[in-house]
Amino acid sequence: MAEVAVAGLTKLYGRVPALDDVTLRFADGSFFGLLGPSGSGKTTLLRAIAGFVFVDRGTVAIGGAPVERVPVERREIGMVFQNYALFPNMTVADNVGFGLTVRGVRGADLKRRVDEVLELVQLTDLGGRRPQALSGGQRQRVALARAIVTRPRVLLLDEPLSALDKALRLDMQIELRRIQREVGITTIFVTHDQEEALTLSDRIGILRDGRLVQEGPPQQVYARPASRFAATFLGDANVFAGRPAADGFRLTDGTALPLADDACPGAPPAVVAVRPEEIRVVASGAPVPDGWPALPAVAGDRVFAGSVATHFFRWQDQTVRVLSKGAELAAVQPGDPVHLAWPPTATMPLPADG
Amino acid sequence: MGPARLLNGVGRLYLGLVLFFLYAPIVVMAAMSVNRSPFYQLPIDFSTTWYEQLWSNDTLLDAAWNSVWIACVTTAIATTLGSLAAIAFRRYRFRGRTTLFVLLFPPIAIPWLITGTAMLIFFFVLGIGRGAPAVLLGHVALALPYVIIVVMARLQSLPPELEEAARSLGAGPWRVLRSVTLPWIAPGVIAGALFAFAVSFDQFVVSYFLAEPGDSTLPVEIYSAIRKGFTPEINAISTIIIVISMGVMLGAARLARFGGTR
Repeated sequence: MAEVAVAGLTKLYGRVPALDDVTLRFADGSFFGLLGPSGSGKTTLLRAIAGFVFVDRGTVAIGGAPVERVPVERREIGMVFQNYALFPNMTVADNVGFGLTVRGVRGADLKRRVDEVLELVQLTDLGGRRPQALSGGQRQRVALARAIVTRPRVLLLDEPLSALDKALRLDMQIELRRIQREVGITTIFVTHDQEEALTLSDRIGILRDGRLVQEGPPQQVYARPASRFAATFLGDANVFAGRPAADGFRLTDGTALPLADDACPGAPPAVVAVRPEEIRVVASGAPVPDGWPALPAVAGDRVFAGSVATHFFRWQDQTVRVLSKGAELAAVQPGDPVHLAWPPTATMPLPADG
Repeated sequence: MGPARLLNGVGRLYLGLVLFFLYAPIVVMAAMSVNRSPFYQLPIDFSTTWYEQLWSNDTLLDAAWNSVWIACVTTAIATTLGSLAAIAFRRYRFRGRTTLFVLLFPPIAIPWLITGTAMLIFFFVLGIGRGAPAVLLGHVALALPYVIIVVMARLQSLPPELEEAARSLGAGPWRVLRSVTLPWIAPGVIAGALFAFAVSFDQFVVSYFLAEPGDSTLPVEIYSAIRKGFTPEINAISTIIIVISMGVMLGAARLARFGGTR
């Protein structure tokens, strides 16, 4: 177990930076989710920590020691690949034991440690099978077992759940978290699935075009995105244009939005955003809670998705999305005039960004 | 009879003709090797007399032995060098890699007659001259491109993550090669070895140019025997060789699971 730290990490492919001056600390024993659209550099960052990518500038340290010149095989990492990369010519037990065999562990000791970790991932009786004879979820567990059996200093996961179907994926998320807690290993996890990152991580980092956009605990990043990109990439957000005013922020139609004092440190906000689940739909003429901004809007379509439904409203020339529980807003018919209101704290002021 | 069945009939006929022209000459040869008459008279009068005579024909037996050991040594050298070259082509991005790769193909297309002449001149200039070492060098050079191309084709299907996974688990370059790369490419290496063996064992032109009288190979010896006057002993030794090589090929095909996925 060890802390991992990267500083000023830069990697160019031709003249395009895959990583652009990334500085991040991954605390000892924490579960860190790296998030970003494809091509954002998240996999490059993971592979730079693993040692498969040689960076042009910057440092990588594991447990306080610089490792830029240490080859992959001596970095004492564990890695789980997107397609699991199990050795087809070996049994499950041989796959799991590979890292130990390479380190000279033999005989009863080898068997005991392989059995131990197979039990941890709940595959006790499958040691003799070939990877080809396993289901996707089982392969995933074998890959994980193989990566942690050597007790690496850091565990790197490259979209490990993306090949599983949705139900299995939820199971594996819980499983992964349990195993990670039990082993207590520093884990860095790459995903493009924001929900997965929110579910699993102690902290998340959002990357875009090779730059670190924002980093912090998931609740904080979700509630206080630092940029328009972060707001719309992590979860959904209705973005409203306008301009800063003395009393907060003024929308294009003149609606004044009060802002919390600490809401947008630094630059004045260029836009504001509101999460769809924060917006309450109030019938036209009904009272709006004191101090809540309210926008007059017209109801449009809705998309029902079981436990939740997304409703679309028309305000000015803009569509506003509102998320409701199940049939909560079933009474609202398309064409109904309503007010869209939200608590002042739900207004997220955002600086201008690219 | 519907058009589908007619087509089916044509297909079968076609398949039958292909197999007939491939295997009928071999069957005839095998049959004649056990026919007492040297003039191919029918009906066949079974006899092993040509096999007995072959046993005392030292020229043919020596040539057969030469062919076998030269083919075996060629296979060993060409398969080892070729497989390593294929791995190097995949693993390293060096200067001239593309040029070198493209240069693999012309030797396959250049007529052996021309390659053989060129080698003869070249070996004389170098002072190697003719003889077993020259034959061996020539055969290895001819077989190498086949091995490299076949092994590279197999290597292309090796997911890079497999080698990366091994490295992440602490395996150095040799360990990765032994535990991951070689097991994966084994079918390709076996196929490459078969090609190398076939190129050498079948080789007439280059052997004819490069061999000295004492160390000539079977194809060369059969050719000169036919020029002197055909004897059914040649049927006998050819039949033996066909049986052995078909056995080897079928065994290797099973081992490498040609046409099947692993």
